[in-house]
Amino acid sequence: MTGPVPGPSGQTTVPELQGERLHPLTPFVKGWGYFVVAAVALVNNEGLRSNLELAGLGLIAVLVGGILLGALSWWYTKWQLTDEAIRVDSGFLFRRTRIIRFDRIQTIDVAQPFVARLFGMAELRMDVAGGGKSDGKLSYFTYDEAGKLRSILLLRAKGEQFVEHETYQVEPEPLLVVPTNRLLGATLLSSTVLGSAGGLIWLIVATTVLDFHVGLFAGLPLLLGVVQPIWKQVVGNHGFTLSKTHDGLRTKRGLFDVQRQTVPPGRVQGLLITEPLIWRLIGWSRVELDIAGVAGNRDEGEDDREGAQLLPVGDRAEVAGVLARVLPGLDLSRIEMHQAPERVKWLRPIGWRYLAYGADAQVLVTVRGWVSRRTSIVLHHKTQSVRLQQGPLQRRLGLANVHVDTPLGPTDAVAVHRDQFEAAALLQAQADRAREASRTASAPAAVHTQPKPPSPDGSSSSEASPADDSSAT
Amino acid sequence: MDDLFAPSDVSWTPVSPKLASVRRVNAAILFGVLGLVALLVLGMTLSWVYGVLALLVAVGGFAWSSALIGRNQRSWKYAEREDELLVSHGILFRELVVVPYGRMQFVDVAAGPLERAFGIATVELHTATPATDAKIPGLHPDEASRLRDRLSALGQAQAWGL
Repeated sequence: MTGPVPGPSGQTTVPELQGERLHPLTPFVKGWGYFVVAAVALVNNEGLRSNLELAGLGLIAVLVGGILLGALSWWYTKWQLTDEAIRVDSGFLFRRTRIIRFDRIQTIDVAQPFVARLFGMAELRMDVAGGGKSDGKLSYFTYDEAGKLRSILLLRAKGEQFVEHETYQVEPEPLLVVPTNRLLGATLLSSTVLGSAGGLIWLIVATTVLDFHVGLFAGLPLLLGVVQPIWKQVVGNHGFTLSKTHDGLRTKRGLFDVQRQTVPPGRVQGLLITEPLIWRLIGWSRVELDIAGVAGNRDEGEDDREGAQLLPVGDRAEVAGVLARVLPGLDLSRIEMHQAPERVKWLRPIGWRYLAYGADAQVLVTVRGWVSRRTSIVLHHKTQSVRLQQGPLQRRLGLANVHVDTPLGPTDAVAVHRDQFEAAALLQAQADRAREASRTASAPAAVHTQPKPPSPDGSSSSEASPADDSSAT
Repeated sequence: MDDLFAPSDVSWTPVSPKLASVRRVNAAILFGVLGLVALLVLGMTLSWVYGVLALLVAVGGFAWSSALIGRNQRSWKYAEREDELLVSHGILFRELVVVPYGRMQFVDVAAGPLERAFGIATVELHTATPATDAKIPGLHPDEASRLRDRLSALGQAQAWGL
């Protein structure tokens, strides 16, 4: 795809930074809580008011000491780029040197915690294979500096991708922005919130009007059920922006803590489209993703564990557009869906109408649920295993389930309650499709990711880099 | 009819009947302890008649589970296809797992003290998802290590990546 590498030295006119310090405001941003507490204590201090100078002096000493410690820590923390690693020296009593080799860096994110954002600063988070949360953190830089450093590191870590230089600093052109009022509306109409709100109203009516004391303790979890999703959605997903960058789709969201996540196209394992009851009437749905190496590996927040949100709420056209971006050539409406047989109504009196599956050359799609309809999409060449299951009741009705397993994540593709012969055939067909797809996909899959030399052990079919492989174990 | 969970185009290998023995010993210990406790507790508090009755119930429970264990053991079988490992098991809740060798992340061979005493082992194939339930209990240790080596060789040769 790319020609011979012009050598990193030709590109990086940025001089090697020799033992740079971090941003001077770092100690303040890191210890702002401490400063606030100290300041409040100083202002409200009884000792100062009553002229008990000792207490006041003590507080000042603590404050000054804190500043001094922070400043010392900042002074002695230096980082530099060597030929093959980033080196961070820190500590003034206990010196510590951490060397992170470029080829061990999996992903690099620029994160902006709330206070840091107020000052226009950012921290660099390097995801190191097998490393913990704090292992690859470097804070703080100015935002531009962090972006620049990220580009340099990416360049070193991944090699040939020069183009990426530009992309991070400039906020890429947004494909899609989810308006806050829609987020709010969607959350208010979601099943959890409606259910909890209904319960809460009933509780209030029961206690006040009917004089029927259920106990107000029950109100607390219900209240939580109303407030928590709203908080999570509206604050967490505030200004959800989806944009296209050189290395995949990038999502950006959050009111206080801005979260950015990049979705490399070759790493999508599966998709989940959720449509709660009322959303269906309006035509809204939510799209989530399974990404290899994200779920279960990073421990920065629950969203990482759960996979990635691609779209917190969107109408049909937006969902279709997003799906087409992630999986080019996918058209859900063109996949022929097979309904579950009618005898399933003995097991699922209402839901049986909504059970269906369908497959094309690229994906398997399963649909189920009538309160909240879940559409799982699994790529054939990402299938981990296929299982056929049958319980005693299903046996009597001649039905069986087919599970298509993908790596950890929200996707859960099960063709529930199929005719057992159809299920056995599907199992077989799915295993064959997975095999075929993985054979054909191994060649062109590298188009999206960076080209890499064939691995010496001959396992060149993997489209993720060797470092990525280890992350999924 | 029955070959839904055991397609006949591959040759299926049953697992060792010793698996049933191990599980029967486990069940015997469990029901034995339960029965004895019930015998003593009921016998000391109410009357020894109830105690003996409880013991009989425990013995009956063991006989019943012993029969189930036998049936369950006979249901376990596996097959090695060119590209996939197939594991089938269960009587009441039946399951057939198909795992492509290329999806394998690692293989476990495990044997508890009781299993070792009876000379069997369990081979488990792990993929990138815990949902994959490809476990074969009741293998002869030689067969277990043969399977382990073969699976890891095949897994390496056919690695699909993620």
